[in-house]
Amino acid sequence: MTDFQTIDLLAILPEIALTALGVLVLVLDVTWRGKIRQQLGVVTAVGLFAIAALTAVFTYPAESQLLYGGMMRHDLLAFVMRLIFLVAAGFTALLSVDVDNLGRRGEYYAVLIAAVIGMNLMAASADLIMLYLALETTSISAYILAGFLFNEERSAEAGMKYFLFGAVTSTVMLFGFSLLFGFAGTTNLYQIGTTIQANSLAITVIAVLVLVGVGFKLAVFPFHFWSPDVYEGAPTPVTAFISTASKAAGFAVLLRVFLIAFDGTNLQSASNWLPLLTSIAVVTTSLGNLVALTQKNIKRLLAYSSIAHAGYALMAFTAIQSAPVQAEAVAAVVYYLVTYVLTNLTAFGVIILVAKNVGSDDVAAFAGLNKRSAGLSLAMLVAFLSLGGIPPLAGFVGKFFIFMALVKANLLWLAIVLAVNSLIALYYYLLVLNVVYNRPVAEGATEIQVSAPYRVALTALCVGVVVFGVIIAPFYDPITRIFDLVK
Amino acid sequence: MIPTSYFIILSAILFTLGAIGVLVRRNAIVIFMAIELMLNAANLAFVAFARQFGAENGQVLVFFVMTVAAAEVAIGLALIVAIFRNKQSINIDDLHELKG
Amino acid sequence: MTVQVALFIALAAVAIVAAIGLLRAKNAVYAALCLVSNFGVVAVLYILLGAPFLAMVQITVYAGAIMVLFVFVIMLLGAEHLEHEDHLLLQGPLGWLLGLGLAGLVTFAAISANLSAPAELPAEVSANFGSPGSIGHLLLTEYVFPFEVISFLLLAAMVGAVVLTLVQREKKARRSLRNPQQS
Repeated sequence: MTDFQTIDLLAILPEIALTALGVLVLVLDVTWRGKIRQQLGVVTAVGLFAIAALTAVFTYPAESQLLYGGMMRHDLLAFVMRLIFLVAAGFTALLSVDVDNLGRRGEYYAVLIAAVIGMNLMAASADLIMLYLALETTSISAYILAGFLFNEERSAEAGMKYFLFGAVTSTVMLFGFSLLFGFAGTTNLYQIGTTIQANSLAITVIAVLVLVGVGFKLAVFPFHFWSPDVYEGAPTPVTAFISTASKAAGFAVLLRVFLIAFDGTNLQSASNWLPLLTSIAVVTTSLGNLVALTQKNIKRLLAYSSIAHAGYALMAFTAIQSAPVQAEAVAAVVYYLVTYVLTNLTAFGVIILVAKNVGSDDVAAFAGLNKRSAGLSLAMLVAFLSLGGIPPLAGFVGKFFIFMALVKANLLWLAIVLAVNSLIALYYYLLVLNVVYNRPVAEGATEIQVSAPYRVALTALCVGVVVFGVIIAPFYDPITRIFDLVK
Repeated sequence: MIPTSYFIILSAILFTLGAIGVLVRRNAIVIFMAIELMLNAANLAFVAFARQFGAENGQVLVFFVMTVAAAEVAIGLALIVAIFRNKQSINIDDLHELKG
Repeated sequence: MTVQVALFIALAAVAIVAAIGLLRAKNAVYAALCLVSNFGVVAVLYILLGAPFLAMVQITVYAGAIMVLFVFVIMLLGAEHLEHEDHLLLQGPLGWLLGLGLAGLVTFAAISANLSAPAELPAEVSANFGSPGSIGHLLLTEYVFPFEVISFLLLAAMVGAVVLTLVQREKKARRSLRNPQQS
């Protein structure tokens, strides 16, 4: 290892700051008593947004490089993904403030921050060792978060299921890593990429083993079984976090591992696993949307819908099989993730407030929401129309880029699958909105009070959803370079 | 010397036995033990390949995996205890609070 | 067949028998014992593979600390007798079938990964290959960053484990304040 340089420190600046924030929250947890504890979530959120700003200003990678003896890669993919995780966690913290048994617990925010550190490292790791450690840091923190309200049976059960599925899949992936190491004789992803051969059945099998672990994070078919149960049972802010940031982290790993270690930029080696990814994407999307049609519980409905959304993003990734479209395909994945994260957080923010007021997660609990809180029903409208892909909201632009990438890559049949699925999805999103706007209010229902942190978070999220749907170029143009810079 | 492939085949067999354990057993603690068996098999493959390449980084990775396993066991067993306090059972067929 | 190969086959047989024992045990403590013997055998294999440090860690951390934790929880919950196992008719055979398919795939990938590797066992490695000194040196130079990350991971897990027991204690304390005679 060479001498320590400024860039070494800059590259892990967000993680250092996050560690400090985590310690600060734990100290405040011990010292603050009484009403002021409500501010724990606000402190965490402000800290996370400040770190996001710090990251954006100071850690923009002038050039891609491997750091810490090849452990980490400092490049645009890691930079953009870090911002997504930090912002998503910031909103999650704001949306947790009023949740019973959760919002005033310093440990909750500390573990949330630990999960963010794990995700940041997932996006940046360039070595099997680092990747495994980062994945496990994220997973272990997420198990704790899902089971946090362990006195409630549902939460404990969610934590247990999440844990068993996660432990098994990560072990299968580790075995895949060991074979990859045996194949290449190195643990560095970038060196592994140079030894991968085209059309080798062994590579396909190894790719399947690795995909088990990544697929668990993405919650794609056939590794999605845990997600509806965990989404329903976990505390709702945790569900929001797992369904957005954790999924995005999975995609960060997917992009780097399959583009670099499995040499996805080379079509010959990509043919080892691309057909597999394509079929997974199609089945995931269709299955997610069809099952979502029958759901009565809003958290389960969003669970299946988020399975479908992961399928859309995976479809975009399969467009790398056409050489000129590769950069666009990767950009479409990342842009879609940004829009999906913002939109889903908005939806879960509304669900947290309604569920707290009504005490139920059923779709029926949303009857006549527009009479009980105009603001909340507006946020719900923005979120669900964006999920359904209606212009001028972010979800539409995200889907549009995927559609264009698929068409340009001559994958017309996939583009049609995407369009048909979007229609099915739009149907059940509109059904929910119908309940919100056209059903009579239940007897004795009162106006829903929205406290300041929630008002700030939901307003910012809605503005974000609109901004990413209207002002596109400043965000999209930089991320088209991710593909070139990751290589 | 023992050929590396012997170790890899043994590791594959142990890994598969662990996977079968996860699939057929219903008790959370036993499933968890089967997961540890799978982890152990993956470690064995790493060490065998490390010997073959004369590369110590495979061994370092195993060291990290063992540490992670320790952390994972602590959390997993804590969750098992929490479930048991709620339900007086750690049979995963009894985890049916969440279904739809 | 050299002595080493004979030794390997004997050890492998013990490891496999122990693993099958884990699958079939009707008592969770027996399952734990099977797992400990498997870990022990693998530690010996590590020594054969020139990894004395890992062999040591395997015994102390895996066979020692982790398994003690398992047995402790089994005893704490009084869950050593495993009831109503295997009541799903198809699950047993289906699991074994899936497992065998997996075995085929994994073995295939393992062997072909091995074939593509440059050679059978490298003739020479230095005398302190895999020794505590050599691994320790790597951990604090080339792998210093993951080493820091793992310390953080352990901290997070520790906070988590504390959280998952803390509330229970507070609740109990409150309950015993209300009915002092019960505590």
